[in-house]
Amino acid sequence: MSHQSRILAFAFLFAAALLSGCAAQGVREVTQNTQLPRQHELTATPFFPQELYQCGPAALATSLNAIDIKVTPDQLTPEVYIPSRQGSLQIEMLAAARRHGAVAFVIPPRLQALLEEIAAGNPVLVMQNLGLSFAPSWHYAVAIGYDLDKEKLWLRSATFERFEMTLSTFERTWARSQHWAFVVKRPGELPVSIDADSAARALVGFEKSSPPNVAQQAYLPAVARWPVNLVLLMGLGNTAYRNHDLATAKQAFEQATQHHPRSAAAHNNLASILMEQGALTLARQHAEQALQLAADDANLKKQVQQTLDEIAAKASPRQ
Amino acid sequence: MIIKRLFSLFVATSILFTGSIQIAQAAMVSSEQVAQSAGIANAEQDRQRIYAALSREDVRSELVKRGVDPMQVEQRVAALTDEEASAMASQIENAPAGGIIGAIVLIFLVLLLTDILGFTKIFPFTRSVR
Repeated sequence: MSHQSRILAFAFLFAAALLSGCAAQGVREVTQNTQLPRQHELTATPFFPQELYQCGPAALATSLNAIDIKVTPDQLTPEVYIPSRQGSLQIEMLAAARRHGAVAFVIPPRLQALLEEIAAGNPVLVMQNLGLSFAPSWHYAVAIGYDLDKEKLWLRSATFERFEMTLSTFERTWARSQHWAFVVKRPGELPVSIDADSAARALVGFEKSSPPNVAQQAYLPAVARWPVNLVLLMGLGNTAYRNHDLATAKQAFEQATQHHPRSAAAHNNLASILMEQGALTLARQHAEQALQLAADDANLKKQVQQTLDEIAAKASPRQ
Repeated sequence: MIIKRLFSLFVATSILFTGSIQIAQAAMVSSEQVAQSAGIANAEQDRQRIYAALSREDVRSELVKRGVDPMQVEQRVAALTDEEASAMASQIENAPAGGIIGAIVLIFLVLLLTDILGFTKIFPFTRSVR
């Protein structure tokens, strides 16, 4: 061994000693957590081994089949895979889940949230960088089990049905994607770890690509859990309206105006419902209030003006 | 370039004129619009809508350029929200695309070491020391 290479070897060992000294952040926090079950594994989660670069379709198929949405990786490939990138983008993974009738909720970027979901029975689709930040090896897998005493986590990953990682290693590989992960649920069900804003983001996306009666059903539990969130209330109202359920729509918009009296959108949509129900005086009051609140938003103002015009037309129909 | 510019013009004018087209349905403010305005200053919204429409066109052509079947592109773009379309237009080249378990050859030894230390997990046969 030459002098130089000996120095190199020492440097390596020294670096190794330094690096192994630090446990991944967040691991101690969860291993000392007393709320979580010590271990849990979703053994019934199906498995679709990945072909070459297709870990996106494979992981997504695993997640969707776990909630009884029957779809194969081959069907998902043309929906998420980008040939020249040899992979799939996060945004399209969410969108493809919606296309198959699932609501895709991005969960909070914390190990604790991920384990809470597994404990609640929800497999979690994660994005990892199995390589290093400067030589990335981006990968999708589905976390399905953990053991806090052994500090282990299990995933349906690539061609491995039960891929074992230490919590520490998993946490490091996951951290490189900014702890990106999502849970798919059938409309009408919610994950346990999310907040109102991420629920709203997931549901607004779902509403866009779903029939109104299904979207309305999807909003219901979210509004029950966060009864004052403006986006959720508006979403419930709008889907109920498109579903010809005026009573629910009216109730949702009323709730929205009560909790958010300065929302022009809430007053405008309530006015539309009242108009359809024939309560023209009350409808005009809300529309006028909306017009005032819309103030400097030209686009919104135009919509409110249209509502006012419709009310006026209904009040004095040309014979 | 010219096509892109013409398209922007088309989108801009069609958005400006949507207000004057008589729509059969009541003028409901959409959930997406409410969600956006929760994060964006009101005056920005018109610009955002034009930008989102342009982004969709960008995403469409970029996906085709990257080898996605043109028959599939339409549905893929349609499945995105405005917010997602904008994000994707700016990220399609550089956002991480999960899929590969490769790039190993070059730095095989480094990764083997980091695997053993538990910083990476490239090789299924390594057992981390931690």
